[in-house]
Amino acid sequence: MATQRETDVTARTDRETFEEVDWDTQEVSTFNVSRTAVAELLAYGAIVVLFAYDYAVIRNEHPLIANWDVLSVEWLFVATLVAVFFHGVVPLYRNPRMREFYWSRFVKNRVAVAALVYLLVVFVIGIVGPAVMSPPETRFTNRIVPPVGITATVGGVVKTGTWQFPLGTTAEGKGVLKLIVYGMRVSMEVGLIGTVFTVLIGSVVGSLAALATALDIGWLDEVLMRYVDVQSVFPTFMLLLLLTYLFGSELWMIILLFGFFSWEGIARTVRGEALQRSSEAYVTAARASGASMLYIVQRHLIPNSANSIVIGATVAIPGFILGEASLAFLGFSDPTTFSWGRTISAGQSNLATAWWISTFPGIFLFFTVLSFYYVGEAMRDAMDPRQQIEGGGGL
Amino acid sequence: MSGTEPLLSVESLTTHFHTEEGTVRAVDGVDFDVYRGETVAIVGESGSGKTVTSESVTKIIDIPPGEIVDGSVTFDGRELTGLSDEELQEIRGDRISHVFQNPQNGLNPVYRVGRQIGEVLRIHEDGISDAEVRRRVVDLLDRTGIPEASSRVDDYPHEFSGGMKQRVLIAMALARDPDLLIADEPTTALDVTIQAQILRLLEELQADFDMSVIFVTHDLAVVSEIADRVVVMYAGKVMERGRVEEVFEAPAHPYTRSLIACLPGRGSAMRRIEGSLPEATDPPEGCRFHPRCEYATDGCASGDQPPLYHVGGDGNRQSPAPVGGDADHTAACVYYGPAHDVSTLEDGGDRQ
Amino acid sequence: MSRTEPLLEVRNLTKHFPITEGIFNREVGRVRAVDGISFTVDPGETVGLVGESGCGKSTAAETILRLEEPTDGEVLFDGQDLTAFDDTELKAFRREAQMIFQNPDSSFDPRMTVGESIAEPLRIHGVGPRERRQTIARDLLERVGLAADDADRYPHELSGGQKQRVALARALVVNPRLIVADEPVSALDVSVQADVITLLREVQAAFDLSILFISHDMSVVREVCDRVAVMYLGEIVELADTETLFEEPQHPYTRALLRSIPTLDPGERGIDASLTGEVPNPSNPPAGCNFHTRCPEVIQPAELDLDQSTYRGIVDLRVTARRHGIDVESLRDLVGVDPDASLTDEQAAEMRAALRAEHDVPETVDDPEAESVLSSALDEIVRGETAAGVERLAETFASPCESTDPGLRDTGVGHPAACLQFDDAETAVDREESELTAD
Repeated sequence: MATQRETDVTARTDRETFEEVDWDTQEVSTFNVSRTAVAELLAYGAIVVLFAYDYAVIRNEHPLIANWDVLSVEWLFVATLVAVFFHGVVPLYRNPRMREFYWSRFVKNRVAVAALVYLLVVFVIGIVGPAVMSPPETRFTNRIVPPVGITATVGGVVKTGTWQFPLGTTAEGKGVLKLIVYGMRVSMEVGLIGTVFTVLIGSVVGSLAALATALDIGWLDEVLMRYVDVQSVFPTFMLLLLLTYLFGSELWMIILLFGFFSWEGIARTVRGEALQRSSEAYVTAARASGASMLYIVQRHLIPNSANSIVIGATVAIPGFILGEASLAFLGFSDPTTFSWGRTISAGQSNLATAWWISTFPGIFLFFTVLSFYYVGEAMRDAMDPRQQIEGGGGL
Repeated sequence: MSGTEPLLSVESLTTHFHTEEGTVRAVDGVDFDVYRGETVAIVGESGSGKTVTSESVTKIIDIPPGEIVDGSVTFDGRELTGLSDEELQEIRGDRISHVFQNPQNGLNPVYRVGRQIGEVLRIHEDGISDAEVRRRVVDLLDRTGIPEASSRVDDYPHEFSGGMKQRVLIAMALARDPDLLIADEPTTALDVTIQAQILRLLEELQADFDMSVIFVTHDLAVVSEIADRVVVMYAGKVMERGRVEEVFEAPAHPYTRSLIACLPGRGSAMRRIEGSLPEATDPPEGCRFHPRCEYATDGCASGDQPPLYHVGGDGNRQSPAPVGGDADHTAACVYYGPAHDVSTLEDGGDRQ
Repeated sequence: MSRTEPLLEVRNLTKHFPITEGIFNREVGRVRAVDGISFTVDPGETVGLVGESGCGKSTAAETILRLEEPTDGEVLFDGQDLTAFDDTELKAFRREAQMIFQNPDSSFDPRMTVGESIAEPLRIHGVGPRERRQTIARDLLERVGLAADDADRYPHELSGGQKQRVALARALVVNPRLIVADEPVSALDVSVQADVITLLREVQAAFDLSILFISHDMSVVREVCDRVAVMYLGEIVELADTETLFEEPQHPYTRALLRSIPTLDPGERGIDASLTGEVPNPSNPPAGCNFHTRCPEVIQPAELDLDQSTYRGIVDLRVTARRHGIDVESLRDLVGVDPDASLTDEQAAEMRAALRAEHDVPETVDDPEAESVLSSALDEIVRGETAAGVERLAETFASPCESTDPGLRDTGVGHPAACLQFDDAETAVDREESELTAD
């Protein structure tokens, strides 16, 4: 608890005090952007420039950087990582006490800590792996090799796995391990990009609706929220099937479709939270100090909805990963996308003889989705404001 | 006070809460008695342990994190601290009942008030008929001053104002004609004119039902208005105890004096108490009030809280007050004990 | 006393909230939260606005600061009508007037540090950069009795009293001339309350602030305010110097309010609960003097001279009958008559007696003429002809308070009150003038 001292309200120091502010010279520019915001904008700018360069100048004739030919999804993924860095990592780094507070509550859930470690491993391998590992290649000479140390009879031939393919190969001779590592990248891309879009659209629509209510533009709120209602009862999966059928099933397409048709939950949450917060005294205090509505939304309403947004996001990620895997399993995926769902589907016909083709990606898919749920659950517990009441009972 | 046995006798009651920040010694060795038909006020600020004390009597505190570590609570000759939950449930709402601060939370919004009051009767009286329940509920509402009780019995809680809800809750508490009513800040959430109505009502009902009342409050003015005796608490300890007239006319403990001096609107200059309320997990050693006390000596800062000494009457001053003999005016301050000159306190008072 | 120009002058300020229904938001009624109040606040002065919950004092505060748009009336700040300000002028005004709130827990954004919260008004008014704002905030923290390093703490790490100190610092940071404090100490412990009040006084003296102090707590108001306006159902019923108000209250409501405060002297026990009933719903305020439904001193018609408590009881009965109706069925139930059976004379008498008992009307009223009207009216009521009974009662017992809105008028002791007791039509003064004679 802070120490309370003798008060002397007129005490003067050599530092600048509020009495010395010359009000006539203020109000020159209220537009000031923080250094992190500048850095973030520069990062997005660089991505856009590189993309334009790649698209207009190189025209896919040779890889952009060394031997990395950046694909459309990867552009989105890089932008997503930048967003996650500036809105997740940076605030956590800057607020050591907030970080410690949430972390101390998070670690109470041991399973979630294990899940988080697993996800970090998947994330890192997903990023690094495809960069250092050549993509899985179709080699009919290596068709259906069992994992290392396992002996199996495939098509009448007895084979024993070697270290060349630690987890065996598929019917096309692709290494299952490589498929899994490339699948990690795909899953992370699907989960993160889709969620960033969901959060972005959801928060904008939600706060716009709340703002409209606050400014007495009731009809705008009505229009937005009725659309949200429609979207939430719309059979989105059918629409996805139709659109991928019509426009092709490239990964970026699927991810964007996920992102654009799954934000209604976050929009509702943000609107509800924002409306609830807007009756708090600190919002009235800001208004009484002359704050504009936009300022209040930006500085108070959205930051205070952050917990609900994060919780919504942790639920969205595993949903998207499963959704993409399902689409791929059903055959809606690009042949160059090494999705787990696609590998599982491919191993299906050989399940009796070559169980490893479907099983290993299946296990990874299962644990990844489960881990996101556990981490989400623990984050929800850690961030639930109702549990932040300090102990001591009815003192 | 008559020489009869007290209805409720609380001795060295100690209740702890085990929290992440450490153990909170919410109630730290509290003694007081309640005799039949009297009103005892427990008064204190936040963190004084007044509410936990009152809730420890029938163990309605959450256990865990709460724990009654020590002490005894004797009610009508029966020890309550060792009773099982089932045994306590028979006593709660029947012989000892509670009224709480916030009337909004006390009633379930989806049931009619009549049904909620009737529930108390049904729990404690097997085979009571519906007609009998209704008759008694209407009678209770009527006695607690709810106009047109016979029709309002079928209303839902939201149809009652704050003051009326508190009346309903009082009716509920009185349903089984309890011996002891524990009222925890029952008027704090109400407007002053409604507070006056409820205080008056409680006075009338106390005589009517011939019950004892423990009145927990932070408001000294309310204490002086309704209590017979008062227990002043600070940081889990009893600071001063005595009849209301004695305590208000000649407050003995420096804390009580400061508390009265910082009340606003008495015409004379309001004086603040230096320092801030102690932290729950880390109260000061020695007299809990010593860091803020202008009379504190070095000795006040170590050991435990001084025992309750008799105030006035030189003969008694040399020994701690016998536990339970609390019809007398006592204060937990070394100046009333041996080897101190109580007149220091008076001199100090003049200095200001 | 030579008068300076008031810093704040509120003229006939009115705030009604429409009650709407249906998809076309048809207005079906109005909550008259603030219903034409006028008062002034001088530079360096503290004016209290007191009343029970629902009297409109907080709405008045928000409307004065134009956080709510007024329905009618003017608010002059430094001589300029801020109800006519455009956005730029309003923003400039927002620097001159700040607000402090009741609940220290919701007064601060839990995600902002104390320093950021204090500096927020600076930021809004374009003072930069961040480091400069933080220097100012840290300096202010020390001056309100906290440590400069508390700027890096979060609100939940501070106690209630410390948060109110921070709230004061946030209000001071733009060097305002007026602070509107809405119950700033009501949520605090007594000893902490004294702390914050002391600080508020020091700050006021040091910076010559005007304070509009909203409170329900008469003791705090007495401690803090120079002048007090007592509000009831959206209207100011009395306006006087603090000491005059407490020593010579003129309005029956003020008197009742003061009597219901518990005293610190156990020798003077016996709290007065003469103010029965509760504040009526402001969407349907009583006609005439809106306090007549509860007033212990409600004026009898010229022809009557009943015992005041008897008359009060009869008015209560009429008010109930008019506003909620009499529940004849439960009366029948009480006497034990089947709902459809016709009443015997004895049963009717029993029900009449029950009605009288419920409203504290004696079994017979002293005045024989009044008694005969009363008993025939009651007879009509218990026989289900409520309207006729109410009509009959109104003919004999209607109080002038029911029909005439008193408005603030001279009381003869130097300050105005809104009560017909001071029914000297000649001295009934214009509201604005009465404002000027207030001190």
